[in-house]
Order: sequence, then structure tokens, then C-alpha cells
Amino acid sequence: MSNIHEGKSSAQSNPLFQLGTERLELIGKHAEALMQGYLQGHVDESSFSQQALEKLINGRILWRPDEQQPLSLRPNVNELIAGLTQDERKRQINSDVGEHLDLIHTRVQSLQAARQKGDYAASEHHMQLLTERVHDMTGQFGDAIESLWHRLNTEFGFVSSLDDKILEIELAQRQLRRILDGFKIISFDDLIQLAGSDGGLRKLLVSQLQARISEHSGSLLEVQKRLVLLMARFRHQQERALLVNRMSAFLRQHPNFKVGDYPNRSQVPAVINQAHGIIAQAFVALDRPQDSYALAEIARAIPRDLVPESHSEKQTQGFATSVQDLVATEQKQLAKDVEDFFLYVIESSAAISGVDYLAENEMPWEPEMWLFQIVAEYEGLPQQNKQSFMLEKDSARKSPFNHLHIIQDVKLGMRFFGDFQAAS
Amino acid sequence: MIENGPLLERLLEGEFICAVTDEHSFHKLQNEQLVEDLNHFLRPLNRRVAKSEDGAVYFLAYCDLNQQARQQLSQQFNATVQSLLPMLEWMQLVQEAMGRDGALSAGDTIKLQDFESKVVDNQSLIQRLGQLSNDKLFKSTSDKADMQIKQVFKRIKELGYIYQPHKDRLFYIVTGKVEQLIELVRFIKDEENVPIDEDAPEQEAMF
Repeated sequence: MSNIHEGKSSAQSNPLFQLGTERLELIGKHAEALMQGYLQGHVDESSFSQQALEKLINGRILWRPDEQQPLSLRPNVNELIAGLTQDERKRQINSDVGEHLDLIHTRVQSLQAARQKGDYAASEHHMQLLTERVHDMTGQFGDAIESLWHRLNTEFGFVSSLDDKILEIELAQRQLRRILDGFKIISFDDLIQLAGSDGGLRKLLVSQLQARISEHSGSLLEVQKRLVLLMARFRHQQERALLVNRMSAFLRQHPNFKVGDYPNRSQVPAVINQAHGIIAQAFVALDRPQDSYALAEIARAIPRDLVPESHSEKQTQGFATSVQDLVATEQKQLAKDVEDFFLYVIESSAAISGVDYLAENEMPWEPEMWLFQIVAEYEGLPQQNKQSFMLEKDSARKSPFNHLHIIQDVKLGMRFFGDFQAAS
Repeated sequence: MIENGPLLERLLEGEFICAVTDEHSFHKLQNEQLVEDLNHFLRPLNRRVAKSEDGAVYFLAYCDLNQQARQQLSQQFNATVQSLLPMLEWMQLVQEAMGRDGALSAGDTIKLQDFESKVVDNQSLIQRLGQLSNDKLFKSTSDKADMQIKQVFKRIKELGYIYQPHKDRLFYIVTGKVEQLIELVRFIKDEENVPIDEDAPEQEAMF
């Protein structure tokens, strides 16, 4: 890494410039095959020419970790890709602060030595390296924290199972602790001493660094809090799944398992205290005249059938049907007897007296009812048939004071060609 | 109080109110003052507003555990215990078919079509579904997987453990009542000292 930085800092004449460019181009040229290697863990040698393979190996891009192992990407390249693609499966967190601090110390010493010698170019060069080193360190923290946030925000979606997620959170928590430990190693007292009275150095090593570190600390605390919450959630889910699985396994194995009679304990557990449902019903209150208008509205809004049903049958139901039935059969019998009377009249040549017929056949009907039924039957005949019969009412005036006539008998006969047989 | 009429009515009818079935009412019930007012109203009916331990679901509980209430609770509790194993098996079945790690929890969604296609692809899941749907809780008489699934989900919907937002779409959301069931399971486990806390997988293997 530092080679590249040095290459960048120097002018184009620097031999590193040429080399670095060549190798970056090499990566670009084989980008697809290399990415495949990144994802598979090893590269497919047949997809490269022999020459290209050699170049890649010499360019420190590919290597063979072991004689028997296939060619794969060098760890640095792996890490580069993981960092570029935010691939949390492979992204590494480098929280080694000690080495950075060591290097910073060395650089500051070199810088001061160069200054004492008055070597302006050298001190400029060392200052450049020192600045980069400090930025590397804070950038490394920044990357690590960004990676933590990224994992947190995707809820560790890069692993699928709950167990793996919990392991990943544990890993993230360890990383976080290492970063925080790293912060502790940075002693600002030492750095203040190191910077001495040099304004530039003070700014770089003390004020800027301090601002960055406190910013990172705040962010890390938040990450920590969220990790704990997420962990609690995952653990909760895991515990539920276990509970469900184990309880159902247990119940399957113990079909005769009996639970306690909780509802009849003196202390009923809250978890089973669930009141049963009441279906609320309400009815029309006819005793409230102020509601009558609203009720009428509702009643009017009830949809009804346009064709009224034949109510008669329905209405008889619900009354004392036995009595009703008896009356109906009697009525039928009476109608049938009257019908027989009419048939008798048709067969006989002369007009027949209703009262005589009743007496002759010894029927149980009251004369008054009998006569009424005959008259009713006659009146109920269709016009055409009615013309074939002739009915004569034998009535007498009841009293001289009004016009009430009592029918005492009826004579029914056939009408032939206009004559009335009864009259003859 | 008038505007809470419908809510009271639903509670009285024995409904469970959670964020899935009625988010608006659920949020209302988080107001302690309102719950107090409702309880005041419910007192003569021997009822009060109760919630599950984690607060995921609200329902009515008895205030006074008199003979009648206990009888009612007994009946209900027996029914719940009877349905416990099939319910747990259903949860496992859904969990496995949908490839989830965690147990079903309130707010999880189940698309019947997805579930069906996953089950039909897997002989052992089909078999388990068949057994489950035969249980007296579900009473399916069909030997076709799709009919069995329909029947099982219909029953579970009736029991209030899942909610169907659109009548004509076979898409369900797990309700807070499931949390109450899990709490009951946990309670039974603790209360009866059901030995499933440690090393249960090994035990299972031994059986």
C-alpha cells in the first residue's frame, strides 16, 4: 500500500509511477476473470493465457497459497475489492492502532531531524508522509465504522440464517471493542508533546485527530447500542423458534401430557384470563316518541318484496291450528254435500226443496247454515252455469214493522228453455 | 366515549385488537387514560381491558373470577390446549416452507400461493400438511394439498391468528394473537417444568 502512496506523491518520473500504472491496468484488463476468482475463492487458470498468468503472479495480484492449492487473489487484492464493493462477507476491519502510532512517531522524528539539518525538501517529504499516515489511520477507523453501519442497516442480510446473524453480530461487537480499545491507545498527551510548538504538527496530530476520534467515538457508541438491540431481537426470534419447535416435539412425544387446571386455581394466570365474547343486541324502543321519526325512516328503508306473498296460509299458522283444521274440514264437507244436492237436482226432473233434501238424507247441518250454503253455492256459480238453474226463495216477512224477510226454504230446479220447472 | 363505541363493541365480542387487525384502535388503547375510562364502563360487565405481556395485543379479561367466569375460562382454555399442538405444527410448517429461521410473529405476511408452491415441491411437507389438515382442529376431508391449505388457513383465520386484509386476495398477516399463544406456551413450559430448555435436540434425536 505504502508503495502506491509514495508513487503518487512523487512526480511522474518516479519509477514507481510506471510500475503502479502497469499493475492497475493489469487488474482492469482481467477484471471479469478476477472478479470470478474473488467470488469463487480461486481463479480458473484456463481462462488466462500462460503469459497473462505469469504477469498477474509477478504483479503480485495472484498467488498460490500452497503447492496443492489453486491460484487465488492475493489478500490485498481481495481486501481492495471487498472495500470497493462493501462486501461484508469478506471486508476486514483493521483496527491495529499501535503500528500507526509507531510510524507516526518515526515520521515525526525524521521530520524534526530533517528540519534541524535544514533540509527543506526532505522535511517537506516527511511532512507529506506523516499527513498521509494520520489520514490513513483515521480513514481506517472511518472505513471500519462505515462497514459496521452498513452491516447494521442491512440487518446482516448477507447471511441468511438466524444463527449466522447472531454470530455476525458477535463478531461485529468484537470488532467494535477493538476499535474502541485502539482509541484508548491514542494518547493525546504524548501527541501534544510530540508536536511540541510546531503549529502545523499540532493541528495535524492534535486538533484534527481529536475531532475525528471524538466523532468516531460518538458513531461507535450508537452502533454499539443498535447492535445490542438487534442482537436482542434476533435472540428473541431464535428463542421463540426454539420454544415452538421443542414444545411441539414434546407434545408429539407425550400425547397424554396434561396441563394444570389453571382456570380453577386461586390465582388465575393472566395469560389465560380472556373474557368470552358478548354479542351486543338492541331492539326498537317504542316507548320513546322522539325516536318514532327515525324508526319510521328505518322501517321505510327496509326493502320489501314487490309481489306480496299469499299470506293466508302463513297467517293460519301460529293460531290454534287444531280448531282451525276442524272447521276447515267441516266447511269442506258442507260444500261437498251442497254439491251433491246440486247433482241430485240435475238428475231429478222436478225442483227440490232444500229443507226436504236435508231431512231426507239426515244430514247433520243446521237448516239455516244449509240454506245459506246452497244460496252461496248458487250465487258463486259461473254466469253460464247459473242460467241452467233456477232458485226460488221461500221467505216470509218477519214483522209488519220492517222489511226483514226470513228465508224458510229454497227450491232449486233446472231451467229448461226458459221455463222454471219448480213453478210447474 | 361515544366515538369509542365501535371499539368497545369489538372488544366485548371477544376480539383481539393488535397493530395488524386494527392499527388505529391499537394505538388508542395505548393511552392509559382511555383504558381507564373503558374499564370504568366495563366494570359492571365484569370485564377489563387486558394486554399480552409484550403489549402486542389487547383483549378483555374478567375482573372477578366468579364461578361463571371460571367455567367459561375452563372451556376456553381446554379448547386452546386442544388446539395447541396443531397450531404449533402449523407455525413450524409455515416457517419451514417459507425458509424462515424465526418463529412466526405478528406482522409476518404469508402469501398462500407462495406457501402452496413451496409445500407442493416438497414431499415431506406435503405429508405433514396432510396430517395436520386431518386434525380435528382443521377437519379437512380433502386429499388435495391446495384444498387442505385453504381449509387450514380458513380455520386459523376464524381463530383470529391471521388476518386477511383483502377478502378476495389470499394474502394473510399474522396477528398479535399469535404472541399471546406463544406466551401461553412459555407459561405452560415454566409451570409444568416441561424439560425442553436444555439439550432438547439431542433428546429429540434419541426418541
